[in-house]
Amino acid sequence: MMKKVVEVIPLLLLLFFTTHATGKRYGPPEKPALTRCRSPEKETFTCWWEPGSDGGLPTTHALYYRKESSETVYECPDYHTAGENSCFFNKNDTSIWVNYNITVVATNALGRAFSDPVDIDVVYIVKPNPPEKLMVTVMEDKGWPFLRVSWEPPHKADTRSGWITLIYELRVKLEEENDWEMHLAGQQKMFNIFSLRSGGKYLVEVRCKPDHGFWSEWSSTSYIKVPDYFHREKSVWILITVFSTFIFLIITWLLHMNSHSLKHCILPPVPGPKIKGFDERLLKNGKSDDVFSALVVPNFPRASPSNYEDLLVEYLEVYVPEEQERILEESKDLHDGCLKSEISRSDSDSGRGSCDSHTLLMDKCGEAKEKERQADRESGRILTETQRHQKGWKEEAFTYAHAMVSPDMSGGRVKTWPSVFSPLPQYSSSPLDKQSSLKMAKQHSLSTSSFLTQPGNSPKEALGTSYWDSCLSNKQPHLLQPQTQVHRELQARSDVNISSVEHKRATEYVEVQRVNKEDMVLLQPVVSGCGRMEGMHKGEDYSKREDYSKVKGLDSDNRLLLQREVLEGDRCPCVDQEMTGDSCTSSTVCTTQKPTACIYTAMPVQEEMALAVNGYVDTATMGALPTC
Amino acid sequence: MAQRKNDGSKLFMTVLCMGAACSAIPISDLLDRASQRSDKLHSLSTTLTHDLDSHFPPIGRVIMPRPSMCHTSSLQTPSDKEQTLQVSESDLLSLARSLLHAWADPLVVLSASANTLPHPAQSTISNKILELQEHSKSLGDGLDILSGKMGPAAQTISSLPYSGGNDIGQDRISKLINFNFLLSCFRRDSHKIDSFLKVLRCRATKSLPETC
Repeated sequence: MMKKVVEVIPLLLLLFFTTHATGKRYGPPEKPALTRCRSPEKETFTCWWEPGSDGGLPTTHALYYRKESSETVYECPDYHTAGENSCFFNKNDTSIWVNYNITVVATNALGRAFSDPVDIDVVYIVKPNPPEKLMVTVMEDKGWPFLRVSWEPPHKADTRSGWITLIYELRVKLEEENDWEMHLAGQQKMFNIFSLRSGGKYLVEVRCKPDHGFWSEWSSTSYIKVPDYFHREKSVWILITVFSTFIFLIITWLLHMNSHSLKHCILPPVPGPKIKGFDERLLKNGKSDDVFSALVVPNFPRASPSNYEDLLVEYLEVYVPEEQERILEESKDLHDGCLKSEISRSDSDSGRGSCDSHTLLMDKCGEAKEKERQADRESGRILTETQRHQKGWKEEAFTYAHAMVSPDMSGGRVKTWPSVFSPLPQYSSSPLDKQSSLKMAKQHSLSTSSFLTQPGNSPKEALGTSYWDSCLSNKQPHLLQPQTQVHRELQARSDVNISSVEHKRATEYVEVQRVNKEDMVLLQPVVSGCGRMEGMHKGEDYSKREDYSKVKGLDSDNRLLLQREVLEGDRCPCVDQEMTGDSCTSSTVCTTQKPTACIYTAMPVQEEMALAVNGYVDTATMGALPTC
Repeated sequence: MAQRKNDGSKLFMTVLCMGAACSAIPISDLLDRASQRSDKLHSLSTTLTHDLDSHFPPIGRVIMPRPSMCHTSSLQTPSDKEQTLQVSESDLLSLARSLLHAWADPLVVLSASANTLPHPAQSTISNKILELQEHSKSLGDGLDILSGKMGPAAQTISSLPYSGGNDIGQDRISKLINFNFLLSCFRRDSHKIDSFLKVLRCRATKSLPETC
């Protein structure tokens, strides 16, 4: 026994010294620590611990657990399945909705160490495995590619029975990028990724999480390369651009070719001045004289309007036999050129005078006057008229002859010379030229005779009285068919002084009703009374004629004295009238066969014209009331 | 107010669904809705627990009562997957309904004590407790409708009375500890309900491999 102790002591001393020599201390193990416990499918779980220092001595670790409802301590059934420092609880050992109190004990030769206990409930520590079978494919949607990612849940997780409900999440990134694009996929196991870069290489990963647990790790990366796809939209635009450019060039070329005609179409040239004889070049030269001299038409305008004949617009051109030609020639020199009349209806450009009422009279008085003429055309009567007219020169009766020419003369255009007489107060105050008045009388007689010599004139259709404003005296109407006999008579009377009112010689005017077929001017004496204008209004036979009334003279009070004529011999003396008065009073009894004779009021007559007027006042301008 | 509205809507839904018109809605849809509700319920309880643990005295963990002391622990529930899958649908529904029903009163206590909880996140906790109550109520109503379609076995509800009273503690520590304990019990039970309903959901929708 002594020998054994003596043998052990050196060993112990050796061991002690060895220990001291190395500097190492042996001790009990340190407390281990449970790092984590996880359950991948809520059926099993694994716990891992971290051992402390082992104290230099081989230490063993043991995991002990206790379930909540019992005091029984169990040791870990499996230390190896889950690796080092782990404890794997299989299905049989795993209960859910049960608190596990787990402790790890480290044991070595010198001591033990207990870890802190951990209470876990399996349902709270679920962390599934990452999803499996990740598949990524490139698919096309109307020409645009997209990625279709599909996967499977971890095979251990029982999602079919509803034991575990997993939600998934995936992430995508380009190979050269650093940032991931996250997509939450919910419970579905498939996902589409759009907006891809043509020709890019993508990385796709997916992970899952139970409804009340932890996220799994990311699955293994899946690589996919998106093929190069041609940008269809761009190609279309390129084509369109090319075509438009082409068309544009063509149009430009066409426009250039037809620029001239287009200019004419769009911007028509402004017509320049077109004046005959106008030379623009002369303008440019600056010689206005030359320019304007070119415009001058020779013989225009007429230098001297002395010849009244030239002023005549129209001429009564009538074919007459030799007899008539002579007469016409004789009467030509009496012409004066101020009157104008419209005879031919067909003549549209007639120089109608202001007092021309040719058409009016023709329409209204034609038929009536025809009758009158018919009645008056009896030779005897006519002769009486003529004689009376002849006497009338002494009777200071003026009648105005209206030459009427039928428009339907067969001789063509009928033009009449203005009337011989000029009753308008255009004359100077000097007495009328006897010569002219004689001529006028002659003409008047001529006209009268011509009328007289036409006993049986057939009525014409439309007749009209054309009034001539005689401004000059020396015009005479064309006498279409004067009789030589009458002509001689007229010549005889040419000496009669009929110029002034005092002479009381008046040339009577004969109204020319019409021109019959035989180119005869039919005249009608105005015998039915004083010139009456009111008759016109009353619609009388002789109404609508502008009659001239004879002015007897002026009294001392500057009153115009007019003379009234009575039909068929009955005469009324002239009646004094107020110049401005409208009413007419007659101091003498005036009986008129025809009720139309009226005295018209005198218009305000200028003093100077009182005598100059050869007794004729235009009743048309007066507004007298009939008093007869 | 919101509860009244909820009651009104639920009553209307109940009346409507009690009739034949309710048969128009398939059970799978009803279960889907119920499982969504239960999921929300459990999520809320989990966040509540986390909020509470942020300022929990370490000693409280030591003297925390055991979960076996939950008033619902007497209810026999499956403890693993095989057992759960072997339970019939109506039994599962009955279990879910029993658990839910057992928490009607304790939630009231919780909400009342949440107002005076000596915790920095007291207002948040209080609001979430109220939400918890609403969800629990609506889920209970929905489960009641479901039970009508799943047979008489689903109608039975095990009574699990809560004996904790209205008072959860006098001092701050005990209040917190008791509050935490109650909440932990509720968390587990809500998880159970959720799991049961999800199992039921997948069983009812056999034609939808997407969700199950």
